[in-house]
Amino acid sequence: MLPRRFDQARPFATLGVLLLVWLLLPFGLKAFTRTTFFELQAPFAAAQSYVQDLQEFWALRVRPKQEIIEAGRDLARLNAAYEVRLQENEQLRAEILRLENLLKLPPLPDHRLEPARVARRDFNGWWQRMVIRKGEKHGITVGAPVVFSGGVVGRISEVHLYTSVVDLVTSPTVRLAAAIDADTRPVSYQGGLNASFSAPRGTVEFVPLDINASPSAPRRLVTSGLGGVFPSGLLIGEITRLEISSDGLFKTGEVRLDDRLHSLTEVTVLVQLNPEDR
Amino acid sequence: MRRPDLRWLAPLVANMVLLQLGALANHHLAPFGLTLFCGGLLVTYAAARLDLRHGLAGTLLTGLLFDALSPVPFGLGTFFLGLAHVLIFQGRQRFPRDEPVFFTVVALLANLFLFLCLSFALVGDNPRPAAAWGRLFVDLIFSQLALALVAAWFFALQNALIEFTGRHPETGRPLPH
Repeated sequence: MLPRRFDQARPFATLGVLLLVWLLLPFGLKAFTRTTFFELQAPFAAAQSYVQDLQEFWALRVRPKQEIIEAGRDLARLNAAYEVRLQENEQLRAEILRLENLLKLPPLPDHRLEPARVARRDFNGWWQRMVIRKGEKHGITVGAPVVFSGGVVGRISEVHLYTSVVDLVTSPTVRLAAAIDADTRPVSYQGGLNASFSAPRGTVEFVPLDINASPSAPRRLVTSGLGGVFPSGLLIGEITRLEISSDGLFKTGEVRLDDRLHSLTEVTVLVQLNPEDR
Repeated sequence: MRRPDLRWLAPLVANMVLLQLGALANHHLAPFGLTLFCGGLLVTYAAARLDLRHGLAGTLLTGLLFDALSPVPFGLGTFFLGLAHVLIFQGRQRFPRDEPVFFTVVALLANLFLFLCLSFALVGDNPRPAAAWGRLFVDLIFSQLALALVAAWFFALQNALIEFTGRHPETGRPLPH
């Protein structure tokens, strides 16, 4: 029979041995286990999302016909406006291609738009991410930028078979090379200020000293295009406060992000195209 | 024919249900900037009622389920859950473990322990850790209140699942029909 003292320590000894075994396991096996346990739970998230879509569908079915007719009319107007924009876009693309050929420039990275429904939002004080219902089967790749009508949503951090995980721009784990509107000098953006019952905010660093911003005169923060992940000019948020950093060389400040980021139901993934696919 | 001993599966299935319900709740709470964390419930029943082998197996597998959905080093959550498990297991003779009230109190303490462990491990990533603690504090209070409300139901659910296995939770002896 084991001595009483060891018997008391047995649970801790068992945990210690298991921890040691875990630490010695090869990385590949751990990655495989993680993927397996994720895929095991992925159908639940997708199923919940589909059920919610169905609820919304039935909720829309009971709307009065007059409301639907008005929505259809508004959509037709929007479509007409977009048709014009589309033609302008085609002309600009042709112009870019002509200039690229003329100046023998390497082609700019081009993207395919992949819309995806949000299956699950997981926003807390530690991380901010969401699961979308598109994955490896739809050509999504790790690191791909995710956007919505209000600007940057985040970037893809994990890709699974039918789902992907997006790290939101509000998350402290996301850092971006940014630029202040109409200024080419790069600054650094990081998410992470997510107080309860208030709009999400982020921080900005390495802002040149001559730039000012205040809540009454905010400055637009956009992606700089550096790093080759995000195209340049996508809206991140608005800088509402700037103060001189502790070293006195730059300014640091706060960025107000879009309120809608916390209630998104649909996003668009920018999947980079190979030059031969263009 | 000898019936397989599936006591480890009871907390695992119940925890999986709880993780999914928690994720669904957090999906709808996201616009308000609130989060529900029920880590304490994942570990309490297995540690307080089952034997070490089956209880720890259930808890560690639950930890892997939690870690797979979280951007933490794979195994971190599992380790914290395992630690909470052995701490409760060690002290379980000192409280009436069949009482739902005590189960709730232990679950609240375990939840506090796990929340603080994860917070200290992860808050360093935040650009302003002091500001992050404000949000974490609100989440903790909200989670504790929600956990106190659902603990008795979850205790009953796990009890029912253990009865389904047809074995005594601690000794593993077949229960009389």
